[in-house]
Amino acid sequence: MSDRPLAGVRVLDFGLLTAGANTSAMLADLGAEVLKIESGAYLDPFRVVGKPDNADGWWNRSPQFRFTNRNKRGLALNLKDPQGQRVIRALAAQCDVVVENFRRGVLDRAELGYKDLSAINPKIVFAAISSQGDTGPERMNVSFGSTLDATSGIAALTGYEGEEPRISGMDVNYPDQIVSLFASGMVITAVMEARRSGKGCFLDFSQREVASFTLGEEILAAACDPKRAHIRRGNANEGIAQQDTYLCKDGRWIAVTAEAAQPDLTALCASQTSQQAVAELLKRGIAAAPCNDGNDLLRDTTLSGVTLLRDAEGRLVKGLPYRLDGQGITIERPAPDLGQHTSEVLREMLGYDDAKLEDLAKAGVTSTTPDVGDV
Amino acid sequence: MSVTDTSPLARFTVVEVNDRDVPQCLRIATSLAGKIAADLGADVLKIEPPGGDPIRHAPPSLPHGESALFQFLNTSKRSLMLDLAGNAGRAALGKLLDKADVVLFEEPASIADFVRTSRATPVEIAAFPLEMDAKARPVSEFTIQALGGLLHMVGEPERKPLKLGGHQACYAAGLTAFTGLATALAARDAGRKAPAVRVSLAEVMQWVNWKAASGADASGVSPGREGKQSEFQIVPCRDGHVAVVYTATQWPAMRNLIGDLRLDDAKFTNRASRRRSVAELYEIIAPWFAAKTRREIQTLAQAKGVPFGPIFSPAELIETEQYVARGFLAEVAHPRLGTLRLPQLPVQWNGRSFAPRPAPELPT
Repeated sequence: MSDRPLAGVRVLDFGLLTAGANTSAMLADLGAEVLKIESGAYLDPFRVVGKPDNADGWWNRSPQFRFTNRNKRGLALNLKDPQGQRVIRALAAQCDVVVENFRRGVLDRAELGYKDLSAINPKIVFAAISSQGDTGPERMNVSFGSTLDATSGIAALTGYEGEEPRISGMDVNYPDQIVSLFASGMVITAVMEARRSGKGCFLDFSQREVASFTLGEEILAAACDPKRAHIRRGNANEGIAQQDTYLCKDGRWIAVTAEAAQPDLTALCASQTSQQAVAELLKRGIAAAPCNDGNDLLRDTTLSGVTLLRDAEGRLVKGLPYRLDGQGITIERPAPDLGQHTSEVLREMLGYDDAKLEDLAKAGVTSTTPDVGDV
Repeated sequence: MSVTDTSPLARFTVVEVNDRDVPQCLRIATSLAGKIAADLGADVLKIEPPGGDPIRHAPPSLPHGESALFQFLNTSKRSLMLDLAGNAGRAALGKLLDKADVVLFEEPASIADFVRTSRATPVEIAAFPLEMDAKARPVSEFTIQALGGLLHMVGEPERKPLKLGGHQACYAAGLTAFTGLATALAARDAGRKAPAVRVSLAEVMQWVNWKAASGADASGVSPGREGKQSEFQIVPCRDGHVAVVYTATQWPAMRNLIGDLRLDDAKFTNRASRRRSVAELYEIIAPWFAAKTRREIQTLAQAKGVPFGPIFSPAELIETEQYVARGFLAEVAHPRLGTLRLPQLPVQWNGRSFAPRPAPELPT
């Protein structure tokens, strides 16, 4: 345990949905201690989006929340209440990292922004993840998942040949998924620098910029040649002789990339099952793979590697995108119920006693039930 | 924006090995991870095979014929050509690795076994999970998107699956490898044994596409491409296209924004009912978009807190107000190619960006 890469790093996590909550989840996976802060008045929207039913306790049963928040402890503290804010500041004094993806200004108004927290704790690394970044005329703009497929340039390069642009859609929300892959590495870099220099920093991530960054070569090429056409090419890639999906006899699609043109591909696939066609093409030295769906990914546990695993109750959760010494992770604790660890953490870190905890509960600062229905 | 005076990785040395005969999709991921470390100040030495990294010839190309992909992926690095097929080349590499903190390389490389046992912490890029034992299997970025289930998610249900634009599987893996690299450096820096890092494109793609697995696990039915049956669609407007995107709670605001009384009908009150009448929904809202420009639509929608997404091409992004204001595009003075404008690292550190230096010329 103690020799894990981020052992001894404590994270105050205001992260919501994927972009924020998954950044702190990746830090937890590396051994950091992550304290997720929600409140009865503002749940992580994943608790609501994924609710399976309306029976009591629905807010603790969302698969999307479970997937993303394993290995964290959960606190519910009302950050609109001055008392709740004081408790959070006291916790922040003992943390190394803050992760948040609220709309800009929310934490500043609660006097929990970088200015406030770095005054208490100068070595704190504050990762602010937002749609457009913390500056600029569009800093207050809202976006949701595929909004950024559109505004980043990805959608303009996605679509059937010569047809309209396409987005990844609500079951992928691609731009939300890639932010944490970069943000967690930047937070680790900043923690190293804070250890060395004693000074923390404010990390300002724009999700839109992260998505555009993945098209760096296209933006560079367009800047040099404004007339460069950006038309949709279906599945073709510049410089590759033949690349597309083909329908097989069993009704399944396969993806093929051939360095030299293969005029017989459509016929070959139509006369074989997807499995046969993939095997045949691989034998010829041509890259080919089935177009898997979610059930295929669940079935093929060799292919899924370390990306999916089960918690102590046998429920499926998100694993790691990489391996350390050949291994994935183990789930040390399932995703927390709302406010599950409030008392435990406030006793442990701030020395609160029963009377103090009861006062906070009575004042509505802490809670274990939501006061909202829909998010 | 101004440039950082701190280069947080300045005290670290990284060797990036681009061996011959490695699929391009792996090279892109390796080079991206190395580029991020280099832009953050690490001393990144790129080892190229005789003739140079094949990505030097990969599209898209700049007007001079140089590869935009190479120029983007290799900023701030130094470069050295070594023939790793020969003993002299390997010995030279060994000496470099003795002094390096991290070595980035690809699983199918001829020097993989040699590099794994060096004193530098290995960060290895592969196509497939370890257990598949498939390092020689033909692979491309496109077939990885298929395997990871991403292709299944994009397009019309009755038509062929589509890939996302760009080299998304490679870039997502490259970002992951950077985080793995930072993890290795942090462990070394804290005096701990750094873990060997292995990133496979197939695992990264599945991890990114986790909602397909989560959805299939919850209901038995896999999510899939919905095209014109989706609540989120692309609609034409006066000067292009806009992505219609909104959350369940933003529906009333969107309804008020469009202002058509037919949207008050009970069949549009919740997500499930809107999906059942989605063609009708889009028929009602289409004229509102058709009459307006992307800019007008964005301004009106944002004023009501509705996250519609105007579609911008890479060329248009260069002029976009937000990117200009934040200085997202760096101007890099290349000694031979002149000024190159490219995206900087998508993060600002205390309000400052990390300005990249030009990619290295072909070593001799």
